[in-house]
Amino acid sequence: MSYLELSHVQKSFGIVKVVHDFNMSIEEGEFVSFLGPSGCGKTTVLRMIAGFESVTGGTITIGGVNQNGLKPNKRNIGMVFQAYALFPNMTVAENVAFGLKVAGASKAEIDARVKEMLDLIHLGHLADRYPYQMSGGQQQRVALARALANKPKVLLLDEPLSALDAKIRVSLREEIRLIQRKLGITTIFVTHDQEEALSISDRIVVMNAGIADQIGTPSDIYNKPSTRFVAGFVGTLNILEAKVENPDAATVRFAGRNMTIPPANLNGAGNGASITVALRPEALSLSKTPSSDVAIEGRVVSVNFLGSVIRTRMDVGGQQVSFDMFNNPGLQPPQIGEIATAHFNASDVLVIPN
Amino acid sequence: MTAKKFWSWFAVFVAAFYFIVPLLATLEFSMRMRRGTYSFDAYRSVFADQRFVSTFSYSVVMALITIAIGALLIVPTAYWVRLRMPYLRPVVEFVTLLPLVVPAIVIIFGYLRLYNSSSWLPLTNTETGSNALLVFGFMTMSLPYMYRAVDTAMRTIDVAVLTEAAESLGASWPTILFRCIFPNVLTGVLSGAFITFAIAVGEFTMPSLLNRPAFGPYLALIGANKAYEPPALAMIAFAMTWVSIILINITTRLQKGAAGAR
Repeated sequence: MSYLELSHVQKSFGIVKVVHDFNMSIEEGEFVSFLGPSGCGKTTVLRMIAGFESVTGGTITIGGVNQNGLKPNKRNIGMVFQAYALFPNMTVAENVAFGLKVAGASKAEIDARVKEMLDLIHLGHLADRYPYQMSGGQQQRVALARALANKPKVLLLDEPLSALDAKIRVSLREEIRLIQRKLGITTIFVTHDQEEALSISDRIVVMNAGIADQIGTPSDIYNKPSTRFVAGFVGTLNILEAKVENPDAATVRFAGRNMTIPPANLNGAGNGASITVALRPEALSLSKTPSSDVAIEGRVVSVNFLGSVIRTRMDVGGQQVSFDMFNNPGLQPPQIGEIATAHFNASDVLVIPN
Repeated sequence: MTAKKFWSWFAVFVAAFYFIVPLLATLEFSMRMRRGTYSFDAYRSVFADQRFVSTFSYSVVMALITIAIGALLIVPTAYWVRLRMPYLRPVVEFVTLLPLVVPAIVIIFGYLRLYNSSSWLPLTNTETGSNALLVFGFMTMSLPYMYRAVDTAMRTIDVAVLTEAAESLGASWPTILFRCIFPNVLTGVLSGAFITFAIAVGEFTMPSLLNRPAFGPYLALIGANKAYEPPALAMIAFAMTWVSIILINITTRLQKGAAGAR
């Protein structure tokens, strides 16, 4: 049995079912991200683990102990909120000490633990400050230290970086991952930002409409999306319609060309079946490489400069295909209206189950 | 000076004139007890009167009890309505506004009818019972101000998230309420407390009909029988109000952390 088990967990608010039969096993020390759009049920699952919402059906166990019906203050789960939730009337040190005081720890114990936690987040020098005297990033680090002070069984992070600016988000997410690895604490991180989830997680749960669409490593989620939703939600993807020409040879026809893809990618689609194929923009290139075996021609309809990358979109037989090229000042990007040829390897083609 | 600015200043002067002139006239009259010269004789006379000390002390004690019970009743109520029963807010707001439209005399007659010596709960039979009725009356009258002050203070903090944060750290309900929520709405509680204090100290109808030795009836008595002491008492009452307002400001500024968080 895994450390944290969610078995057939369901949640309804009145007649509205927001989480349908959610199953997941999380190992001790694992960092798992719940990724999905707003309203997909990721925060509801998190809140059920924390005990802020009761489960309508199913069970949640931590370390083999059933958590159903256990009040939030009896679960020993650390939680970090999007809005920081530091107590405004307490200093940084008092905030971090709060849980320890509630638990009845001795003063010496509290002082030592507060110092340890503040050193962990590199804010020992701000121990006497009040929350309003600190930046958002600093407040969130204090919230993290406060959540960790009681040595919780599980750490829950509910979109902790959403209220911060882009630069702080990146540095703080790295810091969170570093601290998590150092302490080896089982962590669940809720986010709607795919880059955040991909960069720091051991595993990602992509949620859609109350269902876990796919659970896998960041690489699996990105490279082998199992549903059209996952394919569309994680990263940028060219979604194209194609037809199976020869299932035995795994040949599909797309944009007037036949191409042979890895047979396993066909997922058993029969002859003449309409399928949805997907291609990451980075799988296409303007120049032919030794591995590219398919070329498609189209008219360039837009060219977007994204800094390090230039994203070009072209029309291929009525379907839109985007591809990326690194920004090279010495190399002229395609011009709108011109005919361009993009090359790719057929094995990079993903077949998305409809 | 533009026409707009001129009329703004004109409005300020008219308002100031309207408020300050009667006050200055009262102050001036209160200092004319000694013929031909200004003096504080009226104030000396007021402070020398034993009844002033006893009635004022009585009203202060009643006000403090009202504030304590009122805060203990209203803070958890406002907290719970915000946290768990937001759908009840309109009802609670309506109930707390009722004392503004129901006159004190109606409230106290209701009390006397319900709790008189021949009722099933004859509170008016004893001094303690009458004092309790007076406190309940003051609480009712201060309800619109106390509830709004506390509710407004709660609006400035995220009650739900702070509660959940405290819960996840193992805190029980009393700990959450008294260590995490109460200190952050202290400004609101104090604002409500000072208004309650002003109401309780100056109220005439309720203590008069309950036959309690309060400051309000004493003021009325002095006003009916003496010339210079009533304006002196009015100035003292006015000074107390101002001290209360200054105290609200000071406590708001000095409150640790919370002031800056707003």
